Amino acid sequence: MPVLNSRRGVVNLMVCAAVGAIGGATYSHVTVASVITNILIGALYGSMFAVFAERRATTPGAGLLWGLSFALALWLIVPANLTPMLSGAGQMGMLDAAQAQFPALVAYLLCFGFPLGICLGTLNSFIHHEQEATRATNGAQADDTATRISNRVMRDAAQEYMRFQLVRALVTGGVAGIVGGWAFGKWMAQVDFFPLIAGIVGSESSGVGMTLHFIIAVIIGATFGLLFQKDVRGLGSSLCWGVAYGMFWWFLGALTLLPMLQGESVDWSYTRGGQLFGSLVGHVIYGLLVGLIYGLVNRLWIAFFYESDPLNREPSGVGERSLRALAWGAAASITGGLLFSFVMYATGALPRVAALIGGDSPALGFVVHLVISSLIGMSYGILFRREAMNASAGVAWGLVYGLVWWFLGHLTLFPVLLGKPFVWTTEAANLGLPSLIGHLAYGAATAIVFMLFERRHAAWLRLDPRLAAREARLQRPLGTPAPALWFFILVLGVLLPMLLG
Amino acid sequence: MNIMLRRAVIGVIAGSICAFILAHTFNYATLGFCLGVIVGIAYAVASGTKSRTYADGMMTAASFGVPLWVLINVVMLPLFAGETPLWTAEVMRAQFSALVGWTLYGLALGTLVQVLNDVARRAFGEERVLAATPREVKTRVVILGGGFAGVTCAENLEDTFGADASIEIILVSDTNALLFTPMLAEVAASSLEGTHISTPLRTTLKRTKVVRGSVESVDLNTRRVYLESDARLPSRMSDVGAANGDKSSGEGHTLKFDHLVLALGSVSNYLGLENVAANSFDFKSLGDALRIRNHVIDVFERADAEEDVKTRRALVTFVIAGGGYAGAELAGGLNDFARGMSPYYPNISPDEINVTLVHSRDRILPEMSEGLADYALRHMERRGVEFKLKTRIADARPGAVVLSSGEEIETETLVWTAGTAPHPLMQTLPVERDKRGAVIVDTTLAVPNHKGLWAIGDCAQVPDAKTGKPCPPTAQFALREAKRLAKNIYASVHGKPLKPFHFDSLGQLCVVGHHTACAEVKGLKFSGFFAWLMWRGIYLSKLPGLERKVRVLVDWVIEVFFPRDIVQTIDTEVRAGDTGTRDDTSRVDERDRMSEAKGAYAGS
Repeated sequence: MPVLNSRRGVVNLMVCAAVGAIGGATYSHVTVASVITNILIGALYGSMFAVFAERRATTPGAGLLWGLSFALALWLIVPANLTPMLSGAGQMGMLDAAQAQFPALVAYLLCFGFPLGICLGTLNSFIHHEQEATRATNGAQADDTATRISNRVMRDAAQEYMRFQLVRALVTGGVAGIVGGWAFGKWMAQVDFFPLIAGIVGSESSGVGMTLHFIIAVIIGATFGLLFQKDVRGLGSSLCWGVAYGMFWWFLGALTLLPMLQGESVDWSYTRGGQLFGSLVGHVIYGLLVGLIYGLVNRLWIAFFYESDPLNREPSGVGERSLRALAWGAAASITGGLLFSFVMYATGALPRVAALIGGDSPALGFVVHLVISSLIGMSYGILFRREAMNASAGVAWGLVYGLVWWFLGHLTLFPVLLGKPFVWTTEAANLGLPSLIGHLAYGAATAIVFMLFERRHAAWLRLDPRLAAREARLQRPLGTPAPALWFFILVLGVLLPMLLG
Repeated sequence: MNIMLRRAVIGVIAGSICAFILAHTFNYATLGFCLGVIVGIAYAVASGTKSRTYADGMMTAASFGVPLWVLINVVMLPLFAGETPLWTAEVMRAQFSALVGWTLYGLALGTLVQVLNDVARRAFGEERVLAATPREVKTRVVILGGGFAGVTCAENLEDTFGADASIEIILVSDTNALLFTPMLAEVAASSLEGTHISTPLRTTLKRTKVVRGSVESVDLNTRRVYLESDARLPSRMSDVGAANGDKSSGEGHTLKFDHLVLALGSVSNYLGLENVAANSFDFKSLGDALRIRNHVIDVFERADAEEDVKTRRALVTFVIAGGGYAGAELAGGLNDFARGMSPYYPNISPDEINVTLVHSRDRILPEMSEGLADYALRHMERRGVEFKLKTRIADARPGAVVLSSGEEIETETLVWTAGTAPHPLMQTLPVERDKRGAVIVDTTLAVPNHKGLWAIGDCAQVPDAKTGKPCPPTAQFALREAKRLAKNIYASVHGKPLKPFHFDSLGQLCVVGHHTACAEVKGLKFSGFFAWLMWRGIYLSKLPGLERKVRVLVDWVIEVFFPRDIVQTIDTEVRAGDTGTRDDTSRVDERDRMSEAKGAYAGS
């Protein structure tokens, strides 16, 4: 077992086993099994996590995502399926059994996924820090000047995206948190949620609640920077880290910490989750804004302080690359848009889309839909270029983006553009489930076509080895927490509206 | 073992084992099992894993459980069952177990495929991926000329051939940038920065190899292009003449070709007037425009210090030979520039400034309709331009120009735009030419009787496939010819039939001064401010590259708020006949060769 081949690996294994044991003890509060059994199971799970995620949880943020996705997978296997089957309570994959096990899902994420991921990621980040320092020293000590310069440039190119700077992480994250908090606050004001938050300090004032809300938003935004600074490469992935982080904070904040700080008992039932569905959507919107703005500021930071250096410039300028991505995105969206329009036609949604510009005919709705599709496709092009290293990754990013637009577009912007208040309830989500299918199909199709455009362009670049090397460095490499992110967002994003509805 | 077969076997095993999960969660167990096996094979064949990437494989495969559930259970199965898909929350919740099933199936499949791949790796070794051997270049396309025709042809060849490494495209140009000639007059008139209308070839072209150099000769028998000795070729690209027993061209200056595109354009034709050639400015290149701009500033500086009125008048008198597009646009632009900067030279009276356009015909802009040409003339006259129609330049000497009418104009500035001729290299080729000296091609743009030899642009006489008439030597036609040629070269390489060239002219545009232009678009005539807006909008959109568009746009905006730049940047005492720069040297050489070739052609 590779993890046992090194002293550091053994330490990781032992620490994770201990953290898993503590998580198991905590989990005892929501299960009928004995504390000892839970501690043993927790220690075993922690050890397994250390083995499986040892090479992947390289930073605290990456560790958190791997931890959460492994915990979600474990919940799907054990409490949602094996437990009801073995106890003879039902068949595999029954909705009512999964709903009954919703508290276990929250517990798995918070007692196992969260602490184990952060812990392993933090431990591994020290190793990677040492490895980076070694590589840097080797590069600087190269014999000839050309190699030294080349090493320096290569190191910068590879590392600049992920260089950790505390001030940048805190300030950028904090600013992003304010913007995300503003968007989330719109819903809170609409449903009079601020007094509930003010209850944390024993107040019922909306003003106090709003102040607290923004303080919390800034803190979560800053922690996003601390956790994910090293994983932020492109705008699209940053946006998706934000969405996952927002979802996680729904479990930790709205479902757990809020009642605890208010002095109330914690209720992890699916009915309580359903009542807080609006807060879940709010957390998703908050997260995507935090991720997007963080990625944007990070991108500008790198463009100004690093890429503007003539030594590091890419052969084609930012404007040219952006225009190309916009054009590819718009062209790719035609496929996705047409696919989505079949769903819209089948569900009779086209007249509602036409209402956006005051019409009611399906033909007009189809045209408006294609225009919106193009705009979203263009945004996909700008956000997700160079994110997909292969076809499956491309489709996965597209699916996640499609899901994000279900939350942002269907549940939020669509009613707002129609001049109505947005309704983030399970009922609204139920009505929007057909649209969710369309969004997923749209995302996948757009991403595939976009990836084909990228591949065609890359084939040209590969004719020149120097350009090929540059391009390869800027592509998302294997080993990032992207697969964990896809699993966590896609499965929870589809599962939660069904479980809580 | 064949990679695909190995992966397929792994897929069958992993898919069959994991399919039991689907069988448990599907309403139809057999269907679930079969789907599980099929998806397992597809996943294993498509994924191809790296060693011990369990976490990645597990999570990626599980992520695809969601779209597979949507595609199969929510969309396909109801459709195959002949039901109208309702996709309501209730119907979808009824499929919840299948969603969980697909997710667990993905988790298991991702893990198992990874395990089996690692086992197979131990048992049979690493997958033997065919080494990506660089494909040998089989066909080399050499394009001579870096103007509109040559560069557009290269761009379209890149698009058409894509990343086919067996095709090598080489472009030979005597400059390293594509000059956007419609805006050249604005550079001479200090309205635009010179480099802003030139697009570097190396940033424009993606896979074309750019060689900066002038062509010495072409040997159609041995299919080689000989470059002048100052051209430098990478050793890999050059086909050393010595290898062929021919050492005359020296090593590293010979390019072998399979397809040769002649797109060298045209050069100024002084009609044998050597004194005029020696005492006038050319107006073809960026260097020419910059020299004119700096010369105008220089004569203003000298005139401002000049006490003698006659000499001062001569210094600020500018003669332009030729009333075509180039001459008219330059006259309008220079007039604005000269009169606009006169306030900064207090000793020069605006009355002393004179811009004269000399034209051999009875009206300027012969390519445009008479009404528009008259409008342009009247407008320019109102702004101070003087016209000498039905008049030619007969002679020139330092400080004076002699007209065919016998009149003598004292001036330090003569700009020649009155005549052009196809590039002199055309005269040296053993091919059929027209009376101008342009290479005659057929409707597919191929030079008859010379396989792989093509010609486009100003140096070719291209017959229109529909009308049979020769196409005019304009950039508009050159661009379309280049696009058609790229497709025809592709067809030729792949043994497909060639298509003939046909294009209907879109119209003409000509700017003749501040906020004024003439335009003819598909028979519709425009003049004045609207035509000027059309001119700027259309040419800005045609200017290659976003960066250049932005730079030109910024220049135009700056011009609205600030005066034109009168900083003198280069020594201007270099005329077309002088030998101060490389450009000029080569141009004189070209002219000499052209004269020789013309003589030879006339003799033959």
